This record gives sequence, C-alpha cells and structure tokens, in this order.
Amino acid sequence: MKKTVVWLIVLTMLTSVLSGCSSKPGGKSEVSYEDVYYGAFSADYKTLNPYFLTSAAAYTIVGNSMDGLVENDKYGTVVPSLAKEWNNNEDYTVWTFKLREGVYWVDHLGNKTEYEVTADDFVEGIRYIADPKNGAKNFSTISKVIEGLYDYYWDLDDIDEGEDIGKTREEVLASFEETVGVKALDKYTVEYTLTSSTPFFLSYLIIELFYPMEKAFLDKVGEDYATSMDTMLYNGGYYISTWEMDKLIVLTKNEHYWDKDNITVKELNFQKVGDEITSLEMFQRGELTGCGVSADQLKALKGTEWEKYIFLKDKTTVNFWFTMNFQSKNQEFKTFVNNLNFRKALLHGLDRVKISAIYEPNDPEFFIRNTIIPEDTLYDPKGVDYTDYPNLKSIKENNPYDPAKAKEYMLKAVAELTNPDGTIKGLSPQKIDMGNIAEFESDAKLPVELVLATTTDPIETKKALLIAEMLKQNLGEENIKVLVGYAANSFQDEVFSPMHFDMVDDSYSFRFADPSANLARLTTDGSLNEGGYDIPEFDRLVEEASKENDIEKRYELFSQAEKYMLENVYLMPYMTGGGSYSMSKELPYQTPKGGFGLTRFKMKGAKIQNKPVTTEQYNELRELHEKEVQEKFGKGK
Amino acid sequence: MKKYILKRSLQSVVTICLVIFAVFMMLRMMPTSGYFTRDDYLNMTEEMRTVYLKNLGVLDPPLTQFKNFVTKLAQGDLGRSITVYPKLNISTILKEKIGYSAAFGLASMVISMGIGMPMGMLMARKKDKFIDHLGTGYAVIVRSIPSLIYLFLVQVWVSKIFNLPMLFYKNRPESWILPALSLSLSSIAWYAIWLRRFMVDEENREYIKFAKVKGFSQKYIMRKHVLRNAMLPIAIGIPSDLLLIISGSLIIENLYSIPGMGGLLISSIKQMDNNLVQILVLIYSSLSVIGVFLGDLLVVLVDPRIRLSESEG
Repeated sequence: MKKTVVWLIVLTMLTSVLSGCSSKPGGKSEVSYEDVYYGAFSADYKTLNPYFLTSAAAYTIVGNSMDGLVENDKYGTVVPSLAKEWNNNEDYTVWTFKLREGVYWVDHLGNKTEYEVTADDFVEGIRYIADPKNGAKNFSTISKVIEGLYDYYWDLDDIDEGEDIGKTREEVLASFEETVGVKALDKYTVEYTLTSSTPFFLSYLIIELFYPMEKAFLDKVGEDYATSMDTMLYNGGYYISTWEMDKLIVLTKNEHYWDKDNITVKELNFQKVGDEITSLEMFQRGELTGCGVSADQLKALKGTEWEKYIFLKDKTTVNFWFTMNFQSKNQEFKTFVNNLNFRKALLHGLDRVKISAIYEPNDPEFFIRNTIIPEDTLYDPKGVDYTDYPNLKSIKENNPYDPAKAKEYMLKAVAELTNPDGTIKGLSPQKIDMGNIAEFESDAKLPVELVLATTTDPIETKKALLIAEMLKQNLGEENIKVLVGYAANSFQDEVFSPMHFDMVDDSYSFRFADPSANLARLTTDGSLNEGGYDIPEFDRLVEEASKENDIEKRYELFSQAEKYMLENVYLMPYMTGGGSYSMSKELPYQTPKGGFGLTRFKMKGAKIQNKPVTTEQYNELRELHEKEVQEKFGKGK
Repeated sequence: MKKYILKRSLQSVVTICLVIFAVFMMLRMMPTSGYFTRDDYLNMTEEMRTVYLKNLGVLDPPLTQFKNFVTKLAQGDLGRSITVYPKLNISTILKEKIGYSAAFGLASMVISMGIGMPMGMLMARKKDKFIDHLGTGYAVIVRSIPSLIYLFLVQVWVSKIFNLPMLFYKNRPESWILPALSLSLSSIAWYAIWLRRFMVDEENREYIKFAKVKGFSQKYIMRKHVLRNAMLPIAIGIPSDLLLIISGSLIIENLYSIPGMGGLLISSIKQMDNNLVQILVLIYSSLSVIGVFLGDLLVVLVDPRIRLSESEG
C-alpha cells in the first residue's frame, strides 16, 4: 500500500513538471519564420488525379504541385503562370496563350524529367477529359465552352453505345485536332476556340480541367495514372515526395520551378488527424501550424491564454439557399407555393440570423447572404462589385426578415386561395405519399401542410425544427403546419431525385468568374432548378445577358435576371459557407486568393511565424490588405 | 479425422461462395445513385451519369458482371477501387493497409493474452481477495464505460504525462505504445474475466476435489487440470481472432491516424465501392470460416477427449 502511495506521488510530480515544461507560446521573443507547414486533413484525399478532384485536401495538394496557364495573386487578380502572355480576338471567342519556355515536368524525387511543358500538354489535357472512358466527372462545367468538345464527347459515347454514326471510334479520336477548339500552334503557343463569346474565359483556366498533361508519360503509366506519387508528374512549386495512403503526404519545394523565389515555405506536411479535439491539442503542443476551432471549442477556450489567438476566417463563395417544390405531390403546398404572396410570406418569415447562429453563435449576422451570386467575387472593369449593381444593392443590404410583413402576405395568400370556411379552393381531401419523407392525409383545408426535408444529422435536425417553429410563429399556427421529414440514407435518392419535399435547403458552390456560373444553371432547364419552377422571363433575361460581351452591360443584365428571381422568390438564399474560427501560425493574406478554382490553394508567398498569429495581428493584416486592394482597384471597391 | 477435415473444407468453400454471390447480387440491387456525390449530381447531367455508370460496367446484367468478376479473380486480378480510392488497384490498397492492422492486432493480442491470462489465473487463485476485486473492478469499468471516453483520455492525458506523440508515426517506435495498449484495454479484461470464471467453475468440480484429497499439490492441480480445462472455451476463439486481426479497429485507427483496414469496409459500403466491398467480404468471410474450422481442430489438440467424427469415437 505504501508503495502505491509513493508511485502516485511520483506520477503527480511528473505530470506537473512535464506540463510545466510544455512550451507556452506568446512570449516576447523575436518573430522568426518557419520552413515547414504542418497541416491536417480529416477526410481522405481520395485521388490526386487532377481531373477527378473531390475534396479540399486534394485541391490543396494538386493546386500546389501543378500549374495551369494562369493563376490568382493575393488580391484575387488573374496573373500569368505557365502562360507568360495572352490575347483574344474582338468577340472573345479565340484566345491565344504564349507559354513560358524551358519549364520541365519533375518527378517524385524532384528531378527534372526529359518532358518539357509545351502547348501539346494543354491539348492532351483536354483530350483526356473529352473521352467518356476516362470518366472525368466535372467535365460538364466546360463541355459547352470549347468549340466541338461537346459533340466529340457524345460521338465517342454513341460509338461506345454501339450506335452507328458513320464513323469508327478511331476516326473520331483522330478528328480531335480538327473538330475540337484547342490547338498547339507551335511548341509554345496554345489556342482555344470557344463556342460563344466568353470575356471571363481566364477564370475557367484556374479550374483543374484546363491543366496540362504529359501524353508520353500517360501512355507509360496507363490506367495507374496519378494513383501514386511515382505515377504522376509535377510542374508546380512543389512535388509529392511522400505519399502514404490515409496517413501522410509531404510536398517538397521544386527547385526547378519557374517561380521558385516565391516558394517561401520549403515543405508542406499534411497528416491525417481523425477529429478536431486531437487537432486542437496538437496545435497547442506546437505539432500543427493551424487548426479549426468549433463552436464548442470556442466556448471552452474563452478566458484561457488561447483566446487571443482565435480569428474568424473569411466567408467563402459557397451559398446556402432554400428550394421550394413547385410541383409538389402535396396538393396544398403546391397550390400555395405557386402564389407569390405565400412565397413572400416564407421569405419574410424566416429569421436567417437565428438559423446562422446554429453554426456560428458568436457572429451570426456576418454570414447572412441575400443574393444568389456571392459578394466580393465579381468586379467589373471599374472595380464595382456585381452585387452592388443598382438592381441588387438593396436586396443585398436588407435582411428580409420581418414577421409583420410575413403575416400580412400570408393573410393575403389565404384570402386569395381559400374559401371563407377554410377549405382550399379547387382541392379535395387526398392521401399524400412522399416515400420515406412523409405520408399523410391532406384535408384540403387550412393549415397548409409544408414538408420540410432534412437529415438525421443533429445540426440539420436542429435547423429544421427551428424553421418549423419560426414559420408556425410568424405565419400563424392556423395557417401553416410544418411536417419535418427525415432522410435516413441518401438525401439524393430519398429527397431530391423523387422531389419528395416541399422545402429543403442545401449549399451550392460557385465555379467561375461570371454570374452565369450559377444563374445559367438556375434556368427552367438548368441543373440547379431542383424545385421544378417554370420561369420563361428569367430564362430570357439570362440568355440575353449571356450574349452581352461588355462586362458592365453584361452584369447589368444578369443583375436584372437575379433581381427577377429574388423578387419573385423562386429561391431563398440565406447564408454563406466558410468563415469558421481558427488559430494558426500562418500569416493571413499572403497567398493567392480567389472564390473558386485551384490556384487559391497555393502556398506561394506563405509566411509561417514561430508563434500563433494573434487576433489583433490578424485584424491589422486584414486592414492592411483591404487598403492595398483599394489602392490597386481604385475607389470602386 | 481426415474425412472430417475434407468434409469441413468442402463445406467452407461452399459457404464462402454463397456469401460472395449473395453480397454481389445484393450490391447490384442498390440504386446506382450511390456512385455519385451530391456535387456530382449538381455538376453532371443525367446522360453523363449514365455514361459514367456504363463505363464502370455496372449497367451490365448482374450475372454477366458476376462472371467477369469471377474470371478476373481467377486470374489473380482483384480489380480497381471505384469511389473510395478511384482507379487504384485493390491489391495495392490491401498491401499497404493490412500490414498496419495486422501488426497492431498481433501486438494487442500478445499484450491482452500476456496480461489478461495471468491476471485471470491470479484472480481465480485469490478469489474474493483484494486482487480479485481489483481485477473485477477494472473489467467492469472497461467493459461498461463507452470505450471512446477512456480511449480519448488515454490519447490526450497519457500522451501528455509520458510525453508521447498523439498520433502514430511509422518511424517513431514510442508512438506505437499508446495505440497498441489502447487496443488491448478491453480484451485484457475479456481474457481475465472469462479465464477466472472457467477456472473457478472447474475448481468446484468433483474430480478436482478428489485430486486435492489424493494429495496433489495446488500448483499441479491448477496447471494440469484446472487451467487446461478452463482454456478450452477460450481456445476455440483464438484462431479466428488471430486471423481477423487484419480487419483493424475503426476507433483506434481513426484516433491515432493509423492507415489500417479499420473502417475500410464501412466506407466502401457507404460510398458504394462495389469492387472493394466484394474483395473485402471475400477476405473476411474466408478468414472467419477458416478461423472457426481451425478453432475446432485446436480444441482436439487441447482436449484429447473430444473427437470430431463419430466413426472414430
């Protein structure tokens, strides 16, 4: 027994000594910069094949080890990368790029290979994704951009289907150079011919689908291409020097890189860390360069020495919006949603700030977004933000939440759609079957049933219940009854594909520098029209805008289309993505910036301090950055 | 005996084939939307999704697909992963992952048997004494508290106290200690508590009392009679435990970031990586069947009273 007591004492002493020893950051020592970035990834980086990227982790790896024709700088402007200069014809349909000479691909040992990056490599990249056999999933983003590409793809597919199109597969493959609008004019000149005038074409080039590929190497490795570090080649600032699946990936500085002076950090070391508790602890022990801080962790860190290091990251271009089902199987909702007053009642009845607070309890207003196209992303030549165009400015700045208005519009809708005895005009009782999501008897009377589809994820469930309560209070219990339906397995199969919902929300990303990136996908036939609305006026406005080459006029027309969409409430944007709390030793605003594409993940110019960045320092750097941006772009911004 | 082994082997093969066929067909009955993420749905058109599926070969009739699968398998080609590690050879995936899980599984088995069994024997011998209560207390705590809680505590606190790394690193042996230990915590208790129970049962048997009366030493009785008989129920499980160490542990591998097999089957099912699911099911079911088979054989070795076929009895 005595022995045990002695052991306990020794252990306790040991603990206190060791914890006393652990390094505490924030001393007054001088700032120095570190050579290695230690990052973490939680989800698996499934593949590093540049044409199949799926996760942010993979984007970071490929973005840093591969270069395209152009890239973003730290202000978000497009600057030369592998292309040193370019020009376009008057109507923006032919773009010619002059490549940097003497850039070679390197292998996973950092050695220069025999392969030079030439115009052919850019042609081969497109050839690779244009073959349906290679299964590049994001292909549709650019399939209609380059002349002839769409037809080439579907010709090959028809042949694979066994259809006779009068040509063999080999003939179609051989016709690539003539039919598809990408050509190597000489060793260092590549030319793209586009289907329609595309003044924002440069922003497509930072999407991975436009990245070059070395054909000779691809032929050598065949189907194993990019499944390991030695079956890919690199032309970026780093090459992959270690790749242990699901464990560790190390990028080492490429000494043959054309812009190696701007590669300030010598090694990027990413390891898998399973959960946020571990990553926070590792950051505190100095084993990671940065870490995210969840809402719960934020509460726990308040009042500790770590509080002064927590900063709020910028919002992203990802947008959350509510979709309403205009073809709902639920007859009551279908009748109501096709009434503008009811949609306005929903718009004014949803308290976005309260919803946002589920994710970000400390500063929920910061994340509200009322427009479809994100702010701070698109600027016209005068430096005016697209969302500041007169059509959108007031929508952008005014939170539509207003319970009084909501009630008023609801009563108007009720007056228009129901008989005095509370029955809904033109409907008779019916059984509603929405598969796993909801099954109920519709009595064709008020209150209107609204099926809100959600998942069993605790946060999503909380959000759905909150919305249900909000609508009940703001539109009146006698008018609306929200039924929350849960998808247990696949949201796509149970909710979106069969349209088993009345209202649902999801997040949507933004892919290139033009309002059409999302607005053209929201047309009646667009892939983002998941609520099945039919709005010819919007389609017409988008089509008209798409044809306009003058950026200012183009934005003006698009903003008109967006205004139409939002004023008629065919869709309800409410929140931005991103903007999580973090701590880091990496100085902010030093690396390439952007709302989409691959180059925003580059670590070019990164600076890593030997101690965490304080909130104060972070804010100072942000102000400095904003000032620089303002000087660069003039007063418009 | 030979006849028995032959019969059992045949039965095992049939079982494995049935399992594979059933799993293969059931996977084909799943909706094909599982091959796509939500983003894929937003980015791909309906036609493009069809093209993609067709190129994967999953639109062929299930029996044709099964035939292709078996022919390839016979040629030693395990195929390529579809969604979990797109286009990567499954044999490469397994080669990289099995080693980690097997190493930790084996270490944990050695640790848990090495500590658990002597602990169980000690507890049985000192029944109702302090040491027995201590052991029982440990077992109750470890088996009743959700493992995630104490595993987290071990990772965060023990690593701090002994200045050990929080994650596993291949080239730092000190980082292997915590995961191996964590993996054993619960099985130590399992071995200890069951061995104690069987030994205590055995000790109350008439023949033991008789041996005591005959004047054999306590040590001799324990070793020759009690332990041997008490080992019997435990021995049956050892071969399959040993074979299935390659399946890895979901929680521990995630916690210490060990790139092993834990969770691979689950994620491949979730992401509908049918090629990977088939191979994993093939491996796991074969190992289970073989494990049970070997367990039966082992029992004969431990206890000569047991005969496997009646004709020889």
